[in-house]
Amino acid sequence: MSGTTPGQSMPLEYGTDTNTRAAWRTLLARIPYARHLGLEIGQHRTGIELHLPYREALIGNIMLPALHGGVLGALIEITARVAAQSQDAAGRRPRILDCDIDYLRSARAQSTFASAEIVRQGRRTSLVQVTCRQVGTRAPIARGRVQLLFGAPVDNQEIDNDA
Amino acid sequence: MAGASGSPDNAPVAVARQFGEQVPHSRDLGMRVVAVEADQVRMRLAPQLWLLADDDAEEICTSVLYSLADSAAGLAVFAASGELTPIATLDLRMDYLRPAASDRALLAQARCLHLTDDVAFVHCDVLSEGREQPVATGKATFMRNTRGKRFQAAGEGDNSA
Repeated sequence: MSGTTPGQSMPLEYGTDTNTRAAWRTLLARIPYARHLGLEIGQHRTGIELHLPYREALIGNIMLPALHGGVLGALIEITARVAAQSQDAAGRRPRILDCDIDYLRSARAQSTFASAEIVRQGRRTSLVQVTCRQVGTRAPIARGRVQLLFGAPVDNQEIDNDA
Repeated sequence: MAGASGSPDNAPVAVARQFGEQVPHSRDLGMRVVAVEADQVRMRLAPQLWLLADDDAEEICTSVLYSLADSAAGLAVFAASGELTPIATLDLRMDYLRPAASDRALLAQARCLHLTDDVAFVHCDVLSEGREQPVATGKATFMRNTRGKRFQAAGEGDNSA
């Protein structure tokens, strides 16, 4: 990608590390919905990021046109999950508890990039702030805050027994 | 509410269905509009293997729930206002209460809580089909009458009050 993405946010400090890139790639590859969306590992000057290449199937407003808000939601949630999981010593898969996104400007029909900042990484939870940018726009187009829980793996029994 | 001004009862459903299901991302995931009543919209999404959260998990990815809630919430604004003027999501917050089983369809129930000339506040629950308790709940705020052309809907009569 071009090197025009401004590094105003605080990307992960360890982001350029090749082990981290490999870890992100491995984690991303095991998410069926991420594969469906076509998410890739990207790289800007100061850190690692996720890249969502543009496809017509990502459009949410055909008149503008603009990407669907849920597409940015997925980019933000999956970036947060990969960032948090790559930081966990045991590599546990976190469960996303909540996600709160502010849409700052219209997401045009083009590639989108997301970088993560881990606000807090605890033993049981991780709070990740994700910023989405598009080439040609200095300011972020969306910003999201994701709270994740590490714990015993969620067993499917819990789903089945849910009253 | 102003929405019911003289149009046939099923017109909102037809317009919402035609509009909601022609959005490329909604069509890609397979979202269907099930019902539109006054200020409420119900949408359904059938489970697919490529919607899962992990190769080892029998759970639908939370981001799929997020997309479904965003779509249903947007349609609830149209349902409540009775017009298809452009809107934009200002913010959406989702709480994922429990995992969504991979073998059950998702149902989203969105209701517009309050509508002003400028903004709309919407609440949306997402359920696994056949279960009582929601798997997720969300709150969205939309800006109304944003720039851009008015959406075209086939067969939409001019029913301006």
